Amino acid sequence: MSTELPASGEHGEKAEPFDVLDPNAARFELVKEALRRDGIEILHYEPRFPVPGTKEEKRIVRTISFFFVLSGLAALGFIVAYIWWPWEYEFGGADTWSKWYTPVLGALLGIALGGIGIGILTWSKKLFPVEELVQERHDGASDPVERRLTGATLANIGDETGIARRPMLKRALLFGAAPLGLAALMPIGGLIKDPGDALFTTGFDAEKFNGGKPVRLMREDGTLVRPEDVSVGGQITVFPAIPGGATLKHADSPTLLIHLREPDGAEARANAYEMNRGSQWQNFIAYSKICTHVGCPASLYEQQTNRLLCPCHQSQFHITDNAMPIFGPATRALPQLPIDVDEEGYFYAVSDYKVAIGPAFWEREKK
Amino acid sequence: MKRRKLDVKQLPAKAAGELDDRFQLASPLRKVLTKVFPDHWSFLLGEIALFSFIVLLLTGTFLALFFDPSMTEVHYEGSYAPLRGIEMSKAYESSLTLSFDVRGGLILRQMHHWAALLFMAAIIVHMGRTFFTGAFRKPRETNWLIGVLLFWLGFAEGFIGYSLPDDALSGTGLRIAGGIAESIPLVGSWVSFALFGGEFPGDSVIPMFYILHVFLLPGILLALIGIHVGLVFIQKHTQWPGPRRTEHNVVGYRMFPNYVSKQGGFFMLVFAVIALMAGLFQINPIWLFGPYKAEVVSAGSQPDFYVMFLDGIVRLFPAWEITAFGFTIPAVFWPGIVGMGLFTMLPLMYPFLERRFTKDKGHHNLLQRPRDVPARTGVGAMALAFFVICTLSGANDVIADKFDISLNAMTWAGRIGLLVVPPIAYLMAYRICLGLQQHDREVLAHGVETGIIKRDADGRFYEVHQPLAQPDEHGHTHLEYNGWTVPKKMNRLGALAPTLKGFFRPIEQPPVPPTADGGEVEGGEKREEITAGK
Amino acid sequence: MARFIAALAFVGATYTAFSPGIYADEPTDAALTLDAQKGKELFDQSCISCHGANAQGVDDRGPSLIGVGSAAVEFQVNTGRMPMVRQEAQAERKPPMFTPEEAAFLGAYIQAIGGGPEVPESVDLENLEGADIATGGTLFRVNCSSCHAFSTGGGALSSGKYAPSLYPASSVEIYQAMLSGPQNMPVFADNQLTPDQKRDLIAYIKYIQDDQAQGGWDLGAFGPSTEGLAIFLVGIVALAIATLWIAGKS
Repeated sequence: MSTELPASGEHGEKAEPFDVLDPNAARFELVKEALRRDGIEILHYEPRFPVPGTKEEKRIVRTISFFFVLSGLAALGFIVAYIWWPWEYEFGGADTWSKWYTPVLGALLGIALGGIGIGILTWSKKLFPVEELVQERHDGASDPVERRLTGATLANIGDETGIARRPMLKRALLFGAAPLGLAALMPIGGLIKDPGDALFTTGFDAEKFNGGKPVRLMREDGTLVRPEDVSVGGQITVFPAIPGGATLKHADSPTLLIHLREPDGAEARANAYEMNRGSQWQNFIAYSKICTHVGCPASLYEQQTNRLLCPCHQSQFHITDNAMPIFGPATRALPQLPIDVDEEGYFYAVSDYKVAIGPAFWEREKK
Repeated sequence: MKRRKLDVKQLPAKAAGELDDRFQLASPLRKVLTKVFPDHWSFLLGEIALFSFIVLLLTGTFLALFFDPSMTEVHYEGSYAPLRGIEMSKAYESSLTLSFDVRGGLILRQMHHWAALLFMAAIIVHMGRTFFTGAFRKPRETNWLIGVLLFWLGFAEGFIGYSLPDDALSGTGLRIAGGIAESIPLVGSWVSFALFGGEFPGDSVIPMFYILHVFLLPGILLALIGIHVGLVFIQKHTQWPGPRRTEHNVVGYRMFPNYVSKQGGFFMLVFAVIALMAGLFQINPIWLFGPYKAEVVSAGSQPDFYVMFLDGIVRLFPAWEITAFGFTIPAVFWPGIVGMGLFTMLPLMYPFLERRFTKDKGHHNLLQRPRDVPARTGVGAMALAFFVICTLSGANDVIADKFDISLNAMTWAGRIGLLVVPPIAYLMAYRICLGLQQHDREVLAHGVETGIIKRDADGRFYEVHQPLAQPDEHGHTHLEYNGWTVPKKMNRLGALAPTLKGFFRPIEQPPVPPTADGGEVEGGEKREEITAGK
Repeated sequence: MARFIAALAFVGATYTAFSPGIYADEPTDAALTLDAQKGKELFDQSCISCHGANAQGVDDRGPSLIGVGSAAVEFQVNTGRMPMVRQEAQAERKPPMFTPEEAAFLGAYIQAIGGGPEVPESVDLENLEGADIATGGTLFRVNCSSCHAFSTGGGALSSGKYAPSLYPASSVEIYQAMLSGPQNMPVFADNQLTPDQKRDLIAYIKYIQDDQAQGGWDLGAFGPSTEGLAIFLVGIVALAIATLWIAGKS
């Protein structure tokens, strides 16, 4: 059954109308009639295998069946593996069975899904009739008559409400609706919080967090820091020694304490800004670990070149020159924490940072 | 009384009859069944995104059963030894439990993540197809706008999802997002405080992100995807120009059985690729990153690839901070807020800008070959070059490390490249388009190169060309180019045996004799037919 | 280069100054042990041209090794970083030129003439069992991952320098590196991270390196950049081929 229709494209031209309700009408004739009525025309239609049961057809059927069966087997395998494959994480287990749990599941699931997919697609491509049809689009604007009728209807609805003729109603409605809309937005206001001075202080603020006593420096495990804990050329991450000082409650407080070599320490002292003068204790220097760009921990300390690199956006700071940015997108020096050693031999912060730490914001100069 | 026998074969017909009695379905159903869809491989790219989204919904539902979006501090006591006893948020702890102590949890987490990457990658590729073929022109601007919004919603949904496990890598990403939010003039610190419920990181951002991630954003995505696909259905898909194809028809196959079976099969393949990748390739090993701590960071910290262009442009932007009257506009405001605004607005406005410049207000259902619109193709190449350089710069430290390039050189290469490469890409794309056009015209005028070299009486060598129509006395054919693919090889004309088929052993096939409608372009007759029909 | 020399010299010198009591006596040539004498012979053949007679350093060629200690020497020699092939920004790991035994002789010599940090013998780095890898992990993330990355695969530093991958490094080499702070790496002396903490840290590094990646191949553990590459090169390419097949004429 091969149908090649003339490429006329205009329907309704057919000479004899087709009797749809004729009980003897062939089914495909009905299909064609349906297509014709829907503005679809068959350009080309031909079964793949006009003679059923050829070797080629059987081969394709076998191929498709193979993929479906493969899929079923893989799915069964998936179920079996899911239930019985050892899956629990093993301590120190290099190359144990459990490490293959996820790959095995993924491979079996992939084969199961892919098998079905390839089977369906091969079926569609190799067994369905070859067809090419053309359908009218009927897109673009509506019929002018329809447009006019609908337009008039809409305009009439407008007139019936009389909103144009009654300006007072219009204004009153506007007055009623606008505040209501704003009122609906108010719950979002619950999220709004006044930053206050939070961005200007850190955990090293003695007044705010330590009852006015100077805040000592501590390590992440809570031990206090002495000068002899950090060797020359070494660095250590320190926190304010207050409750929760090393937790995310004081995410603005991590500080890098660096022990410079003698000449570098002298260089840093000589270069110090007015604000940073005297902040160093001997050759120990402490800078905020929070990058002034967008707040990553700038902590890649190069002990020979005295550079500090931020791994997120590659800003580089010059440690012996007030941690000024010398490369990358950061614009401001890392704030320096003024430090000293108390009579018990522990480091403490003489005061909080003198400028707001971390990324810049609109009102940061207001401190 | 005799029991009436149930005729199984009649059941579907009977059921259909009962349904039609109630809902009058016959006519609308037939319109769906026989709707004609055009066929081209590039029309399937958007489906990859659609199907990935379905996989995302399925796997995401599974994850939601185990994930606990809470920032309460707990001690991890699960099976992953290197983190046992460490204090961490409940969100991170439940993500670890999901990965190590829930049977099959890891593969579903990995499927979810790979599906998210595939969703975004497919959106980008699909967007490129739509752009370069002019499929966004009237009447389809609305769908272009929705598509651009879908990209940004996917971007937000993906970034938020990446933040949920609350590991050190995603926390770093969140810190950067907070830093960018703080850079907004006037209200930056307020925006940041609203986001985190106080000073970063606070303890409300994960629960808030969770509800956005599993409810609000997927809801909006689902609705917009529904409208997007619905509009394609209502407006009918665009098609490539070709024999019998006009602005007013669609040439292709019917929705049932062909289209639907292909879609169904393709869905399975997309699902299969995600499952395979999720099983075989590790993604986002959160257990290596540890819980988020403000002081913890890793070399090579990056966001997922679809956020990398933002990270890259932030890396490249010079340190230009404006301070005036005691107020600061941070450097990151320009790439982070203004840049992203432009990345949103320019694509949104493009269809209208193009209309304005070309003054083409027509209704278009036929696609354009990229070569036929060199200016648009050039603009697209330019945008793509910009995007790729930004994205690569987002990984410039990894590239620097693994390819032994100086990190500073990478940054400078990115900065200069961002200014220099896009215009070069424009010019190159433009020239290539013109060259391809030229060659099309040449083939139309002289015929297809046969590869047969002959020597004439003078001793000159020349190549024999196969004309596409009856040549005139000068050997020229006068065929007008009309946007169709021009055959460039003899087997395209059906004149030679098709290239060898068969994967493992070649299946020799006899050459198919040229038929009236066999090739894509045949002689001049049909061409005239179309031109006449316009 | 002069900076480099000065730098290394001061590391040693000031270290000694801050660690009183440990390296008290300055042994003289005459007092060299047999090992140290063997080390001196090797030194005089292979190292003297850059590091100078008695390891005093040569301007613009090599730093003084007085006070760097045996940990630094053994680390540099055993990882092949020393002797250097040429002067460059950063010495690379390469096949060592000396056997571990010879490196130990060299270390003994340098230790004998200048003192400096040594790997304490009390730490068992051969057998890491019993080490607290969770503590090690915390220390790794605070102190090491910023340069060497979460995966221990290394990362870029400024201007072409880099933090190397920790995969090829042995436990002892990692310990020595922390002690001596080779090149741009900061020093993590035993007073900052105790020998036990260092052992925990090394155990963690070895554990995650030996632990086969969970959930399939780790794509080199480079993070999201290779994942992004994979989704295009594997996912999109596979599915684009699928679309070509689906829409192809058959």
